[in-house]
Amino acid sequence: MTKIEEIKATAKKLLEEGKVKYIIGYEQGTNGWLSNPVFIKKPEDVERFVWDPSCVHNLAKFLVDEKRRKSREKQPDKRPVGVIVKGCDSRAVIVLLQEKFINREDVFLLGVSCEQGGVVDDKKLAKKLGKKNAKKIELGDKDNLIITTEEGKLEFPTTELLAERCLECKANVPLIFDVLVGDKTQRPQDKPFKSLEEIEKLSPEERWNFWREQIEKCVRCYACRSACPMCYCDECVVDSINLAVAPDTSAEEKALKIRWLDKSTEKSENFVYHLVRAIHLAGRCIDCGECERVCPLDIPLRLLNKKLEKEAKLLYDYEVGCDVNQPSLVSSFKDTDPEDFIR
Amino acid sequence: MAEEFEPKIVAFLCKWCSSAGSDLAGVSRMEYPANVVPIQVMCSGSVSPLYIFSAFNKGADGVLVSGCHPGDCHYIKGNFYARRRLALVKKLLEHIGLEPQRFQVSWVSAAEGTKYTQIIKDFVKELKPLGPQTKLRREAQ
Repeated sequence: MTKIEEIKATAKKLLEEGKVKYIIGYEQGTNGWLSNPVFIKKPEDVERFVWDPSCVHNLAKFLVDEKRRKSREKQPDKRPVGVIVKGCDSRAVIVLLQEKFINREDVFLLGVSCEQGGVVDDKKLAKKLGKKNAKKIELGDKDNLIITTEEGKLEFPTTELLAERCLECKANVPLIFDVLVGDKTQRPQDKPFKSLEEIEKLSPEERWNFWREQIEKCVRCYACRSACPMCYCDECVVDSINLAVAPDTSAEEKALKIRWLDKSTEKSENFVYHLVRAIHLAGRCIDCGECERVCPLDIPLRLLNKKLEKEAKLLYDYEVGCDVNQPSLVSSFKDTDPEDFIR
Repeated sequence: MAEEFEPKIVAFLCKWCSSAGSDLAGVSRMEYPANVVPIQVMCSGSVSPLYIFSAFNKGADGVLVSGCHPGDCHYIKGNFYARRRLALVKKLLEHIGLEPQRFQVSWVSAAEGTKYTQIIKDFVKELKPLGPQTKLRREAQ
């Protein structure tokens, strides 16, 4: 039985028995090759599920939305929500559990190893295809992918199309699950933190020029924040709306309100936003790459988060999303933490 | 002759040690550069990374965070948390290409007025050749 058949069978059984409220998975997308997230409530709809390297979304994000929705309901359905999790999604769920944002009994995880060890990167694919549009991505029988375009079929080796993060991924197998679908198929890992090598070789001035060019592009659409499963704060510090303005709010109160950063898309303000986001994700980012994927201006946001992940590993031997009971990076310390930078 | 560049330093000093240390330097009439704008905070662990980014954003040429020596924290472990967090901030600022000298962390106890003056002197000396910090500064509108 292939993985997708097993997913469908498991999902069908769960829904028929009424063990879960609904199951979040992927379905064939309406726009080209990319799959869509889908919420399946009825057992007969499970045929819509797909599972291939186009399943790029991090579905853990929907658990955050689900928690919000549930808190608004008067008589919430207490059953857990089923989610299909890849390796990175499972790590996101671990971090959410670690931070006690969600409860273990509220989720039912269907763990699946990534097909051929990762998901396709849309930018890499677009580069390969030029002006052609991909309609469908299928698995080849060897380590390759078959892309259907309007001008026929093309074949590429998997490693050429996989996202950078997938090549560097330490575990493309789910680390936490209730049901494991298919086998755990681990792919050999590329060098961890490989994408950082290039930028770390640069001099500080060159690094600054690189980041200035990138961050200046930002239009502050906050798509990165919206797509991130870890950005779940009810109020974001960069929104500057934390002051409740009532009719009796005095001008002075408004004036004294701290504005950490402006809403304008100037370089300096963009930097504060991206630095704050990076530091808030330190020890929490599980490198699902959603922020970078959804960025309309192709800012390499992963490099910021990855850098802090690397420092956490080097300085504190902290690995993100491995253990639910591990205290989080910035809410724990050791007596032996390095302090050579302190005078 | 052009006036010599005088860097502006924002110093977040913890109430129980570093702030008292700077006070000691003051009442002992020790001399040190007047480039520092001290801001008293309750603990070095209460300094959010946002304070630091925001200080740079609003025109600081250097930022200093100073707290009690490890083990001496008034709140037992605040400076241990600060140590981790500030290390990450420092790495991040270096990663985007800000000069590493612009952000400093120090432990200054209430008795170390001399150490405080020395840190400020060194800090100013290091910042002078760098010139004004324009990278993260908000442009005047």
